[in-house]
Amino acid sequence: MHIPDGFIAPQMYLPLYAMAAGLWAYGARRVGRELDEATLPWLASLTAAAFALSFVALPLPGGTSAHVTGVGLLAVLFGVWHAFMAASLVYAMQALLFGDGGVTTLSLNALAMAFCGALSARAFYLAVRPLHVGLALFLAGWIALFLPALLVALALGAQPLIARDAAGTPLYFPFGWSVTLPALLIPHALLGIGEGALTLLGARLIDRLRTRYRTG
Amino acid sequence: MMLARRLFLGIALALMGPSHAHDLHSSVGTGEAVVVKLYFIDDKPFAYEAYEIFRQGESVPYQVGRSDAFGRVVFLPDRAGEWRVKAMSEDGHGVDVVLYADEAARVEVRDKPLIERYGRVVVGVALILGLFGLLNLYLRRKKPS
Repeated sequence: MHIPDGFIAPQMYLPLYAMAAGLWAYGARRVGRELDEATLPWLASLTAAAFALSFVALPLPGGTSAHVTGVGLLAVLFGVWHAFMAASLVYAMQALLFGDGGVTTLSLNALAMAFCGALSARAFYLAVRPLHVGLALFLAGWIALFLPALLVALALGAQPLIARDAAGTPLYFPFGWSVTLPALLIPHALLGIGEGALTLLGARLIDRLRTRYRTG
Repeated sequence: MMLARRLFLGIALALMGPSHAHDLHSSVGTGEAVVVKLYFIDDKPFAYEAYEIFRQGESVPYQVGRSDAFGRVVFLPDRAGEWRVKAMSEDGHGVDVVLYADEAARVEVRDKPLIERYGRVVVGVALILGLFGLLNLYLRRKKPS
C-alpha cells in the first residue's frame, strides 16, 4: 500500500500535502503536550516495531504479498495523534531514506494509512469495547488496514480521470476503480485478520508488561 | 487469349509488392541487454506485471510489456541518456526508476546484497529509537524541576 512516486498526479498530492502538513503541525503540538516520560519508551518501541513489521511480508492468495502496519495497535494503546505521528515518522523514513513509498505520495500514504487508519481503529475500539474488549481490539486492527486500503484504491482509481494526455492516455496510474477496488480490498480484507490478531495479542502483551513494570 | 495472359501477369506482378508487406520474417541474434529485476522485500518476484520504458524526454514508450516469471524486465538501450522504467501492478505496487546509459548504451544494474536490505531494518529501528531518545531529552528539559 506504500504508493511509489509517479503513480499520483500533482493535482491530488499537492492538496493532500497541504492537508497533511496541517495535521502534522497540530499532531506535533498535541503529542509534545501530552507525551510523558513513562509513555515515551513504549511509543518508541512500538514505532520501531511498526517499522520492522513493514519488512515482514505475508503471502496472500493470488501470488501477491502484503505486510501488517501496527497502526491499529498504536492507536489503541496511545490514541489517534500519537499513532498518526509515529506512523508518519515510519513512512517518512521509509520514503526519504530507504525508497519504500514515494516522496510525492508521502502525504497520501500518511493520511490514508496513519491518520485514517488510526482514527478508524480508535473509533472501532471505543465503540465495541463496552461489548467485548477482545473483539474491539481485533476489529480495531482489521479496520486500521482495511479502510486505508479502500482510500488508496479510490485515490489510485481516480488517477485516469484526473490526469490524461491529449490522446486520453492516463499520465499516472492507468487502472480505474473497477480494477483497483477488488485488487486492494480483497487481499487487505484477508490481511486485516492478521492485523486484527496482532492488535489483539500486542495490546494484551503490552498491557501485561505495563502492569508488571508499573510504567506508562 | 494473349491479352488475358498479359492482364493476369500484370495483376499478379502488381500484387507481389503489397503481399510482401505481410510476410513476417525473423532473425535471431545475441546482444548485451539491460536486465532490471523487480522484487518485493521478501524476494518474491514482481512477476507478470505491466511495464513501460521511455527514452529521455519522450512520452511514447520505447518498449512495453510484462515482467517475466522472475520479475525481470529486459531491454536494449539504443542510445546514451536517461531511461525511465515504470512498472506497476493493479494493487498499486510498482516502481518508477530512471537508469543512465553511457555512450555505449550500457547500464550497470546490480542486485542489492542481502546485507543492504536487512541492514535497513537495523538502521531504521536504530534511527527511530535515537529520535525518541532525543525527544526524551527534550521532555526532561521542558519538565520543571
